[in-house]
Amino acid sequence: MQEENIDRNTAADKAENTRAPREDAVVFDGVVFSYAEQASPALNGISLAVKKGEFLAVIGHNGSGKSTMARLINGLLLPDKGTVTVFGLNTAEGKNPAEIRKRAGIVFQNPDNQMVASVIEDDVAFGPENLGVEREEIGRRIESALRAVGMEAYRYGTPSRLSGGQKQRIAIAGVLAVKPDILILDESTAMLDPRGRREVMQVVSRLHREEGLTVILITHFMEEALLADRTIVLNRGEIVMQGTPADIFLHSERLEAYNLSLPRIGRICKSLQKAGIPVADCLTPEELAEEIAEAAAARGVKGECGGHVPAAPASLAGGEWDIDIKNLAYTYSAKSPFASVALKGIDLHIGEGEFFGIIGHTGSGKSTLVQHLNALIKLPSAQKRYRPARPKKGRPAPVLPELKVGPFDLADKKCDFFRLRESVGMVFQYPEYQLFAETVFADVAFGLKNFRKGISAEETEAAVRDAITMVGLDYAEVKDKSPFDLSGGQKRRVAIAGVIVTRPHILVLDEPAAGLDPLGKQEIMELLHKIHREWCSTVIVVSHDMDEIADNCTTAAVISEGAVADCAPPRVLFSRTEELLSLGLDIPLTAKACARLKELGIEIDTDFTCEDFARKVTALFNGGEHA
Amino acid sequence: MLNDVTFGQYYPASSFVHSMDPRTKLLALIAFIVAIFMAETFYGMLLCAVVLTAAVLAARVPFGSVLRSVKGILIILILTSAINLFFHGGEHLLTPESWAVKIYREAVVFTVFLMLRLSLLVMASALLTLTTTPVRLTDGIESLLTPLKWVRFPVHELALIMSIALRFIPTLIEETNRIISAQKARGADFESGNLFKRVKAVVPILVPLLISAFRRAEELGDAMDARCYSGSKNRTKYKKLTFGLRDLAGALVVAALVAGVVLFNVYAADIWPQIYEYIVIK
Repeated sequence: MQEENIDRNTAADKAENTRAPREDAVVFDGVVFSYAEQASPALNGISLAVKKGEFLAVIGHNGSGKSTMARLINGLLLPDKGTVTVFGLNTAEGKNPAEIRKRAGIVFQNPDNQMVASVIEDDVAFGPENLGVEREEIGRRIESALRAVGMEAYRYGTPSRLSGGQKQRIAIAGVLAVKPDILILDESTAMLDPRGRREVMQVVSRLHREEGLTVILITHFMEEALLADRTIVLNRGEIVMQGTPADIFLHSERLEAYNLSLPRIGRICKSLQKAGIPVADCLTPEELAEEIAEAAAARGVKGECGGHVPAAPASLAGGEWDIDIKNLAYTYSAKSPFASVALKGIDLHIGEGEFFGIIGHTGSGKSTLVQHLNALIKLPSAQKRYRPARPKKGRPAPVLPELKVGPFDLADKKCDFFRLRESVGMVFQYPEYQLFAETVFADVAFGLKNFRKGISAEETEAAVRDAITMVGLDYAEVKDKSPFDLSGGQKRRVAIAGVIVTRPHILVLDEPAAGLDPLGKQEIMELLHKIHREWCSTVIVVSHDMDEIADNCTTAAVISEGAVADCAPPRVLFSRTEELLSLGLDIPLTAKACARLKELGIEIDTDFTCEDFARKVTALFNGGEHA
Repeated sequence: MLNDVTFGQYYPASSFVHSMDPRTKLLALIAFIVAIFMAETFYGMLLCAVVLTAAVLAARVPFGSVLRSVKGILIILILTSAINLFFHGGEHLLTPESWAVKIYREAVVFTVFLMLRLSLLVMASALLTLTTTPVRLTDGIESLLTPLKWVRFPVHELALIMSIALRFIPTLIEETNRIISAQKARGADFESGNLFKRVKAVVPILVPLLISAFRRAEELGDAMDARCYSGSKNRTKYKKLTFGLRDLAGALVVAALVAGVVLFNVYAADIWPQIYEYIVIK
């Protein structure tokens, strides 16, 4: 981010505006809105005023009506009852929407679906072009908008090579080029990895701070809402809580009632307080560490944690369904001018029975890696046309990749790839987008009928019923429904049922919790643990959420630039803080708190789950008291 | 897996031809096609081939990739050649009188001509797509079609549709690949079985793809509305194509080519009268 390059003129302009008595930017007055196909209103009597220059966060679970609010503000939707006014203009009147859209820009959720052009500067130019702005001025606006989001180096590039976070920054630039006063972010970070989310939030809070933009941030990430001046909580179309982020998060019980969860640090605070440790409510890991250190000093607790170091989990090597990967390399579009190396020599062992995590940035090669596991990408030596190269004199024989999954040798052309796929279930990112059948039953049965040709109707029904029940849905209720009539979370469960219905030994999931709200994420992870316990001996989860990995996995591998940077149980992995940070990866919040505590002279040996962290700190205090 | 924006056959390089204005290249291609169809002598055809070769050299694209484009029309080429060879009439019979199949000298000359014409045409078009990104090509087409606005032809809308299509082709290809992989992982088989079975096997790909395309279209529509799109009225255009010196040079070369072809048509008989009847079509 190039903070020094701010457009001085506009910054001064905006600063002057904020000094004037603050006018209302957006006013909702008794707004009711229903979608035609739904019985209950999406918004039910919303009244709200957003001041110019304010940073408002709107949080709520999926389906609470948050996104409807964004669309009402700029006239994409019109209220059934009540009025929405933006700078005094009623959205429902005549040509007002056109004027309002100049002043209130929206950045949507999916970065791919809001770009019109294949060249970045053309995309940013789209808004000003629509307004009939002069050519030279458009050029200047492109420059300053891209500079404001730190993407000026990509001006002539194409969006398809960018990461999600970069694409969203381009989308923000596209909105800024219209020169709006209000920036609305409609779950704009929901599909991003933590790094992308951080990038976008940095840009947004800087725009608010330095350019005086009014920001309305719609999100289900509590951590993001912390940046706002004011937070409102929506539940079933009504505003149920309002106040500064700190106010809101201190009412944890109420938040949970609205299907929202506290930020992790808040949760740790609560459980420490319950254990009688005098820490004040706080929201960042650093604050928490300082609180703990202070409390420790007050009680005279010192030194290392009292808990004993648990023995490392018994080695899981030598299982029947172990996965062995050696020298795995892969290049997309090899031998073409667009060749891009995805993997360069992966060595990895995944033992039977593990809940294995694969961590890495978007584009680190982790998805390519897992697609090898069930031969969706075949090794070169397993391809039909493969002929072993004749050894050349004076040159060492080329190292061929090796890959064994249980009894299957994937480097062998004669390997039964069909049976392999039955044993290694693969759930892709956003698996609900792959549903196709008319009923839930037919969709779940699809894989079963493919793998077991001629399976009897009774057997099919039994297996499908078990799978649907396993993922926590009511078989009788959903089996004849169209999968497209289900809610987002239910769709994802049906998609998972469609993979586990064949009872694979190994289940691989690519970002299983992506795009869900915090509660949905938690439920999916619980479901995976249940599947791991009862059905699949090995579960492999690809994720970029460090907290998710810390909380769930027995072992995790870090993939960086196509190679394994590290592979260890989370308690070991996340204690190597500097190493992870130097790879540009995040560390769990608990690890951040531990690092700060270490600086303050307190060492805590934990496996970095929230529960264990709280338990160890409690033990530290109790041990200190007894001593 | 195809997931790059430069799908199609664009060959990235920086060269004289790559940096020419797309309009010049489009017009030059049209002029070139006119030239190869005007040419009535092998001299003219040779001149066309020489100019194309020079253009390929100036474009710094591998000759192989230009030649490969002919492979695409190989069947058409063989079929039309065969038909012309056997059914084109003439005066000088080459096969013995008694044969049922009659091949005339004129037919042979004409067939060779036809093959050269078609091959040069395809190779020249390939050179255009190899050196111009689809985006630049769309810009060029839009600019060239602008006069049609006078007859109320929706040039702007057409250009926007093309540019959005180009923008979403890589996204949809990527999505298709992902859906295919996901259904393969669930045991779907797209490669064996009879036609009916194969068509049926496509349903699990097509349904999710269509649903997703509609969802994307809806979201894109909202995003365009939110960014103040309201049709072509009062709209300005940021990107402006400008002709440069290279374009002038290119235009001169093509003009010289057409002139050369015409001159050869007129004066070929005087160059080497003995072989004239073997190198001309009438």
